[in-house]
Amino acid sequence: MHELSVLFEIVKQVELVAKKNEVEHIETLILQIGELSSMIPHYMKKLYPAAIEGTILADSRLEIEVIPANGLCKDCRQVFNLIKEKGTCPTCQSKSFELLSGKEFMIKEILCS
Amino acid sequence: MKDFKILEIKQNVFDDNNRQADELREQLKKEKTFLLNLMSSPGSGKTTTLTRTIQALKDEFRIGIMEADIDSDVDAKTIAETGVKVIQLHTGGMCHLDADMTKQGLEGLGTQEIDLAILENVGNLVCPAEFDTGAIKNAMILSVPEGDDKPLKYPLMFSIVDVLLINKIDVLEYFDFDLEACKERVKKLNPNVKIIAISARTGEGLEEWADWLRTTVKEWKEKED
Ligand SMILES: Nc1nc2c(ncn2[C@@H]2O[C@H](COP(=O)(O)OP(=O)(O)OP(=O)(O)O)[C@@H](O)[C@H]2O)c(=O)[nH]1
Ligand SMILES: [Mg+2]
Ligand SMILES: [Zn+2]
Repeated sequence: MHELSVLFEIVKQVELVAKKNEVEHIETLILQIGELSSMIPHYMKKLYPAAIEGTILADSRLEIEVIPANGLCKDCRQVFNLIKEKGTCPTCQSKSFELLSGKEFMIKEILCS
Repeated sequence: MKDFKILEIKQNVFDDNNRQADELREQLKKEKTFLLNLMSSPGSGKTTTLTRTIQALKDEFRIGIMEADIDSDVDAKTIAETGVKVIQLHTGGMCHLDADMTKQGLEGLGTQEIDLAILENVGNLVCPAEFDTGAIKNAMILSVPEGDDKPLKYPLMFSIVDVLLINKIDVLEYFDFDLEACKERVKKLNPNVKIIAISARTGEGLEEWADWLRTTVKEWKEKED
């Protein structure tokens, strides 16, 4: 139930921001999750209703933007998707890369009134 | 249709906890209390290893233990029999401890009278890896029956720990656990990790573990003097 405790943490953080900005109602919560994060979007969505019950986020929708796991090849400077290419540069077969994105786990924004 | 505005938050979910963990480390430095966070799957031998560790080190350090079972105090009772201070933390069904809960636990333990605090984290290889508790060092136990492929399945946990204990080596012959292959997999993820093979049942390897912990605590304390 990893996702559930993380969702509780997110709800806590959003509640703080909402209070500070005098938000009354939240329509949508938008998260950004990297492909390499251990958070599984499918489970997050499933558990979301349980996590927001009785909070300012009650009845809101969860939207998840998946950030691709991109690497920059250190040998030929090609940018490629690490998961699709299994960590090997499709152009020059090098296995040495710099991670550009994919580990994010961010609260991006809320749609609110 | 109602008008909604977009409120940008752009906040890393773990930032809050990471900040609190850093603050806790600062505080532990001042109080000279070393905190070890011990993680593993359920049943890999945390409580048994702790009992042995306490026996080995209780004459040198004032030890305090925090037990973070989800909802029982069985382990806390076992530890209490060793005579050291122990408290039960209530995680409220959570699958990990965060820095804030750890801090409250330490307050309950009373760090002024403790040189070495050990946290038995919730049995689980995913969540505790993602939440920094504020510990000075992180330890993990992997037991032989769990299999040597665990580093491949839970890479984050294996990559954040300072020391890995491979426990239950007394039963190696009954399992197809390849000790060398396992060590190699872990080293690939985490080249600086210290790996010690132990049996909390027979006591094998426990001296090396106690030595590692003793030296690490002493070096940390001296560094702060
Ligand atoms: N054969 C063998 N059994 C062990 C060893 N260490 C622990 N055990 C047994 O494994 C079982 C679980 O040990 P615990 O120390 O309770 O494990 P734990 O990680 O604290 O378990 P939870 O707190 O429930 O997650 C017990 O039956 C122990 O006796 C070992 O080195 N060898
Ligand atoms: Mg235990
Ligand atoms: Zn390349």
